[in-house]
Parts: sequence; C-alpha cells; structure tokens
Amino acid sequence: MLSTKEIKQSIRSISSIKQITRAMEMVAASRLKKVESRVLASRAYTERMQQVLSHLASSIPSERSHPLFTQKESVPVIKIVLITADKGLCGAYNNNIIQTTAKFIKENTGNTIKLIHIGKKGNLYFSKGGYTIEKYYPENVEKFGYNQVKTLASQLIDGYEAGEFGQLHIFFTKFKTTMQYSPTSIRLLPIEKDAIKTKVIAKGEYIFEPSAEQIIEHLFPKYIETQIYQCILESLTSEYAARRVAMIAATENAGEMIDELTRSYNKARQETITKELLEVISGAEALIKG
Amino acid sequence: MAKTFKIEVITPEKVVYDDTVQSITAEGTEGSFGVLADHASMIAELQTGILTISDVNNKTVRFALDGGFVEILANNVIVLTDTCTKEGEVDVEKAMAEKASAEKALLKVGSGVEKEKAKAALKRANTLLKLANK
Repeated sequence: MLSTKEIKQSIRSISSIKQITRAMEMVAASRLKKVESRVLASRAYTERMQQVLSHLASSIPSERSHPLFTQKESVPVIKIVLITADKGLCGAYNNNIIQTTAKFIKENTGNTIKLIHIGKKGNLYFSKGGYTIEKYYPENVEKFGYNQVKTLASQLIDGYEAGEFGQLHIFFTKFKTTMQYSPTSIRLLPIEKDAIKTKVIAKGEYIFEPSAEQIIEHLFPKYIETQIYQCILESLTSEYAARRVAMIAATENAGEMIDELTRSYNKARQETITKELLEVISGAEALIKG
Repeated sequence: MAKTFKIEVITPEKVVYDDTVQSITAEGTEGSFGVLADHASMIAELQTGILTISDVNNKTVRFALDGGFVEILANNVIVLTDTCTKEGEVDVEKAMAEKASAEKALLKVGSGVEKEKAKAALKRANTLLKLANK
C-alpha cells in the first residue's frame, strides 16, 4: 500500500500529463480542421486529372506511345516514396503505413528497392535492416511545400525517362473520416491504365490540340506533382486525425487513473485516521484499567 | 431549346463551376475554340486567357484562366486550371501593379527563363484587366 504522500504525488503528475494530452488534442483538432478542407477541395482536381490522363494514355496507339507510358519491367528497380509523420503519439498511424510498405518490399524481393522518405518515422524504421534509402527529407512534413514537390517530381520523371528505375510507387495514408484512414499505395509510374471507361472511348478517337505528345509533355509532370502533393495532404490530415483520437483516449485514461488514485488516497487517509483513533482508544483504556 | 452538356471548372483549391450549359468558348494554345453539345472527344491545352460559359438561360459567365487543360468526352467537359478568377472578382489594382512590374521586368530583359516568366506574368495581368473592363 502506498502512503498518502506518494499517492498524492502520482495524482499530481498524472494531472499534468492529462493537461498536456488535452493540449495536444486541441492542437491536433485545430490543425485537422485547417488541412481537412484543403484535402477535400484538392481531391476533385487530382481525381479529374488522373481521369484525363488515363483517357489520354489509353487512346494513344501503342506504336506511338510516349516513353512515360511504356512499361519498363526490364529495369528491376522500384522506387518508393513513403510518407509518414515526424512524431509519434498518433496511435497506429505510423506503424500501419510502415508495415504496409515493409510487406510490399518483402513481396518484391526480386527487385532493388530504393526508398525516398518524407517524414522522420519511416526513415527511422527503414534505416535499420539494410534498406537502400535514396533520399530523406528531414524537414517537417507540414512544411513540405508545392515547390519541393515540383523538384522531386521532375527528378523522378527524368530518372524514369533515363531508365534508372522501372516503377514508382507512393505509400501514404488516405483520409476517409476523422475516425477512418487507411494505408494506401498508388503506382505512379508507369501510369496505371485501369479505371478507364473503354466503352466511351470506343465512340471515337480523341482530337488533340496542339498534339498528344505536347499535352503529355505538359500534363504528365503536373499529374505527378498533384498526385504527390495530394498524398502528402491526405497523410497529414490522417496524422492529425489519428493524433487527436489518440490524445482523446489518453486524456480519458488519465482521468480514470486520477479517479482511481483519488479513491485509494481517500481509503489510505481513512485507514490512518482509524489506526490513530484505535491507538488513542486503546491507550485510554489501558490508563483506566491501570 | 438547344442541346446542353455538363461542364466542371476545377482548380486545386476548389470546384469553381459545375453546371449544365449550352456553349463555352476557350482559348487553346492554337487559338480560341467554341464547344457545343455533342462535340467530338478532345483533349486540349489552354493558354492564359478567358473562358466564356453560356448557361441554359443564355446568361454568360466569364473566367480568367491561367493556362490549363480541357477534356471533352461524351458531353462532359472538364476544365483543369491552376488559378481561375471569376468575372467581377478581379482585383484591378493588384492586376495593374502586376502589369507594371512585369513590363518593367521585360524592359530589363534578363536570361531566357526570366523573360518568359515576365511575359507570362504580363499576359496574366492583361487577361485579368480584360476581364474586368469587358
């Protein structure tokens, strides 16, 4: 049994932890609000762009196919862009996406895997165990702006055209609701040709203005940029949502612990009083008898 | 009534316009073109310029677009653009200032890239002013 003094001390420290988790919850909630509207707004743009590009990809005759659409399966190198958080305390958020990535790597052991990390946690995990980390952006995920995405995208496209790697995948956490987010991966290069309504296309060939090649030349980098940026936004939103939920749970748990400790504190105090009373009474009785 | 089609104008920030319309006129890199219902499938690149939409009630709405792409497929038109300003929402003072600074930059004539940048900025400002003055 702990003494009343010790119990009081732990109540005090748990209260201060509770205050911190509560503050973190509020911070996460306000950030979530900011980024959530942005992610939902830009989703329409990204989806439409993907749609236009996959129409474009499927309507070009294969003999005229642009190098960016052609499969380069002969190059056994897969590049992975992994987006994680910089900090923990957000439930299973980091672990889920890291495990999804690790599983993918295990399934593709025949290829050389090169990792590009945005976010500290992913880098921390994959820096052990002999993975090739090609690049790590030590800046905050939050501050990873569109200009940086642009540079990264153009480097990736150049590398792909030069035949440095055969596939490019991006691993991120897709935001659904504030309680739901799922680790997801997209193959960015070569572009996936699914989700194409072939029926509609069959109606007639597309007219390209000025030319299919030039549109690809301009649309493609934009597509990669918006995809990567969208993935970062999705991940950020999921991270804040996850952190908020984790912190709400932590605050609740701290409250429960405080309640429990208060009860045992009262019990301990009562016991000391009873003990002291018993001592006084037995002392008095001894005097009367004597 | 004339045949209609669906159009969406989308920027990374929001869906600017989403409605059924009668016709649109856009400025492609090869010159401006009009679109009516049952237009052939097409993907075109747009230059900085004005997009005119004529809705089902024959009312026109105009937007200044900063380049972009348009896809026409089975009476569905998608316009993707980086920035888009609606008629009546142009900040004339800001556009004037941008025009002046772009003109100044053009006079200096730096390297090729800078010149192109200044040219693009000037065109953007001019388009905005054109939209504001009608």
